[in-house]
Amino acid sequence: MKQLQLPKFISDIDYSLLAISTALIAIGILSIASAGIDAEGFRFSTEYIKQMIWAATGALLALAAMTIDISRLKDYTFLAYLGIILILVYTRFAGRLVNGARSWIGIGEYGIQPSEFAKITTILFLARYLDASEQMSSFRRLIVSGCIIGIPVLLILSQPDFGSALVFFPILVAMLFMGKIDSRYTLFILLTVAMTFVLLILPLAGKYFFAGGNLIDLFFQRQTLVNLIAAFLLVVLGLSAWGWVSFKKKYYFWMSYIFSILDLSIAISFVAHKVLKEYQIMRLMVFLNPNVDPQGAGWNIIQAVTAIGSGGIAGKGYMQGTQSHARFIPQQSTDFIFSIIAEEWGFIGGIILICLFGAFLYRIVSLIETTKDRYSMLVCSGFFGMFFFHFMINIGMAIGIMPITGIPLYFISYGGSSLWAAMTAVGFLLGISARRYRM
Amino acid sequence: MIGGSQQPWTDRTRLLKLFVIILSSVYVVYLFSLQVVRREEFSAQAQKYAIQAVNIPAARGEIYDRSNTAPFVTNDEAFSVEIVPAEITSAERDLVFARVAALLDIKVVEIQKKIPEKYYHLYQPISITSSAGYSVITRLAEHKEDFPGVYWNSRPIRRYLDVGSLAHVLGYVGEIGRDEYKILFNKGYSANDMIGKAGIEKVYDSLLKGTDGHILKAVDVKGKDLAVDQARVETPKPGKRLVLTIDKSIQQIAEKALGSRMGSAIVLKPATGEILAMVSYPWYDPNIFSSSKAGDEYAKLLADPNNPLINRAVQSSYPPASTFKTVLTAAILEEKAFSPDAKIVCRGVLDYGGRDWNCWVHSPGHGPLDLQGALAQSCDIYYWTVGRDNLGVDIIVSYAGDFGYGKLTGVDLPGETQGMIPTPKWKEQTYNEKWTLGDTMNISIGQGYLLATPLQVADMIAMIVNDGIVYKPHILKEIRDPETGALIQSVEREQLSISSISKATFAKVRADLRGVITVGSAHVPVSTKVVEVAGKTGTAEIGLKDRWHSWFAAYGPYNAAPEDQVVVVTMIEASNPWEWWAPYAANVIFQAIFGGQDAESAAKAVGVNLKGTVVRGKAE
Repeated sequence: MKQLQLPKFISDIDYSLLAISTALIAIGILSIASAGIDAEGFRFSTEYIKQMIWAATGALLALAAMTIDISRLKDYTFLAYLGIILILVYTRFAGRLVNGARSWIGIGEYGIQPSEFAKITTILFLARYLDASEQMSSFRRLIVSGCIIGIPVLLILSQPDFGSALVFFPILVAMLFMGKIDSRYTLFILLTVAMTFVLLILPLAGKYFFAGGNLIDLFFQRQTLVNLIAAFLLVVLGLSAWGWVSFKKKYYFWMSYIFSILDLSIAISFVAHKVLKEYQIMRLMVFLNPNVDPQGAGWNIIQAVTAIGSGGIAGKGYMQGTQSHARFIPQQSTDFIFSIIAEEWGFIGGIILICLFGAFLYRIVSLIETTKDRYSMLVCSGFFGMFFFHFMINIGMAIGIMPITGIPLYFISYGGSSLWAAMTAVGFLLGISARRYRM
Repeated sequence: MIGGSQQPWTDRTRLLKLFVIILSSVYVVYLFSLQVVRREEFSAQAQKYAIQAVNIPAARGEIYDRSNTAPFVTNDEAFSVEIVPAEITSAERDLVFARVAALLDIKVVEIQKKIPEKYYHLYQPISITSSAGYSVITRLAEHKEDFPGVYWNSRPIRRYLDVGSLAHVLGYVGEIGRDEYKILFNKGYSANDMIGKAGIEKVYDSLLKGTDGHILKAVDVKGKDLAVDQARVETPKPGKRLVLTIDKSIQQIAEKALGSRMGSAIVLKPATGEILAMVSYPWYDPNIFSSSKAGDEYAKLLADPNNPLINRAVQSSYPPASTFKTVLTAAILEEKAFSPDAKIVCRGVLDYGGRDWNCWVHSPGHGPLDLQGALAQSCDIYYWTVGRDNLGVDIIVSYAGDFGYGKLTGVDLPGETQGMIPTPKWKEQTYNEKWTLGDTMNISIGQGYLLATPLQVADMIAMIVNDGIVYKPHILKEIRDPETGALIQSVEREQLSISSISKATFAKVRADLRGVITVGSAHVPVSTKVVEVAGKTGTAEIGLKDRWHSWFAAYGPYNAAPEDQVVVVTMIEASNPWEWWAPYAANVIFQAIFGGQDAESAAKAVGVNLKGTVVRGKAE
């Protein structure tokens, strides 16, 4: 068995990655334990025990993932991708209805969220495609990659699970970027997503966030005016595209570029306005000014930020957090777990946690730099995007500078599926690290 | 990590590292600003935060009879006693519990069950009882220092004021069940609400319940009240007052006339569809549902073999028997299927299909009868013959449908049953047997598979009175403001169905129905002289040798304009000892209504003993 070469394998594993992950999981379990106690010291939840079980079983998953040589199996990734797609279809129609969304499938009390695993299989498959398509045109690779993530994104959006679907975009951007797609195209995706978000929240911002009678509100009240502008932009796009195709001048290219970003954003945000209810959009933007709706959507943010701020430098002490223990923070063991950590361990705890995550991401980048296999590199890039986005949004949500999108903090938030997915990802990363010197 | 920069992709990793560093730094800095720079601000905020909403229940609407003078259903003041466990120190806890137990006349262990050890630290009120009387509350208020942490709240109880037989129409309220809550949670109900469970209380619950108000008050992190200025108060909007079409005096007349016989009685105005009285016996006292023994009482009602919870006027269906001959009569006239003057000889028995069909007057029978005579004497043989030979099942079924049989009337009461009109197709599908002419004969006299509710029979009469129009029967008359009594909305009559049968036919049918009283089977029992009545008797076979369902469906005054008419249907089930009571009861009702008397005086006036007599043998 020349492949495995066990002693070399073991010595080449990236142990700092392993150590950081273990530390994060431990912090997670401790924090969840604290989140399960109320202000009188009465334990009302045993989630931390379940998290320990998830961690133990997840370790097995990680071990399995580590032993798989993903480079050799890259041709089978399509099957894994397809399998998860089918499971997602099943989940969409036959999954359990939890909090108004069909994201779960399971037996009795136990269930998993297939969308978490969809991220992993999509990364593996997309990496395969980008690896194999190196010679093709950037544009074509862009479109195909878009389709590859488009299918799971649409299925997950239809559950509806907005947050999980959103993660696929940073994954796409990271992988395209590292896959040497023309930067203009990756920039295109970033700008479109940003613009869509802005257009999505602009009408409601005009209505509720700014002083009455402001221009934004006035503009959006007049439907005909809005339609007129949209039509105008569409026409300009048409002209630019024609111009570029006919004259091939750079000027036309950039015009098409800018206006297709605008028009695509308009189209997507229009669809989103039809599909999403007003309170859901409010939830996304309330972080800009939580006091617009202090008892509704703004409640989570105000409570979380208050908890964090009152933690001070050294925190209130383990299991002593008053805000969390008074049950003021909704979902304090999942989406807002960072508030408990910051409240109880203070600024010091916060810095340590952020540094741990930062180091984790840094290790992934190092792995990208040292691995000799392009396929593995692309897989690492996908995982980088995934972990980066979760880290950025979740902690940003808790401190009040990111929109509320309900995605967990990997390793820390309570949740079997997200922990298993994270540990599987770590398993793959460790496996890549152990094989990085091979050609 | 040696040999790192040799891969063709490593130039881009610099950007990734940059992102990581930027993100981490930004977050660290922001965290610093929150936790160090603004620490004081958040500390203070953490101390004071939360707003609690305390519910102020809305008063449930009252229900009045059509005179709008005094309510049938109102709300009584009752008090609930609650304990906030955290406000009692552990030293005095046992003493306080004992005092409360003594005050409420319950065992201490019941309080301990409601407040187990794990609740001792809670700042939430726990309800101990919800039906404490006024004296208990005064004692609590006078000796407040002996009862730390004990509070009381006013929680109204639904009171049904001497409603008697109106129990089925009014219904009752109860706590909203989990399944009901799952459906109604976003229609303004909360998990502890009372909701109408039967009758008008249920059908118009959304009008009666009003809108709860609330007080928003600030509590601190531990749940204690903050003595800050009282935050926003939203006053509750009381439920609407409902005025029913029921006439209290007529209801009492019908109730006494029916007496303690299982069955039902309906009095309605055909010109508008308003129901003046609806009695179903046995009835029950809806106040039991507000008492602490509600569960046991309800179980007793459910277990009662006489089914007191069923509203027999709309929720039960029976063979309409000879009252259905009215439909046949209309069909014969309209279809010109058989000359109304032609006579059929009734010899008391008909031989058909290998068996003897006996008229209710056995051999030698009625003798020769024309259409009017046959209806007046309720001759079975006439109708068997004409139904079988001249009309046929399809025409009969069609006319039955015209008159509203087999269809829901849509009356505003829950659980209405639609009865049954059998058809050949139905019989084949259900029994896998072909329709026979014997079946046609059966339904021609209102037996066989035919089933009707008393309300449907009443609407049949109403259609005849109105020359073909039936107005939807309803119980709600008006919606009024609960405080001022001002009219908000009046329920207008609504056309339920209109028939194409000619006015001439209806006039003839009315004349024939009058004949039933003047010379026919109802001549003896319907003896009242204060009003001219027209109608039809009915006696349904159900297989027992000496008991039958007894029907009487009638209207009066004969020849008056429809606006002045009243339709009365009485129905006594075969489970009672046979008295042929239906027409006698109706007689008393007509006498009382048009003679301006109560039931007892009316009964005396027509020489009837309301307690009845037991008659032998089939009377009609």
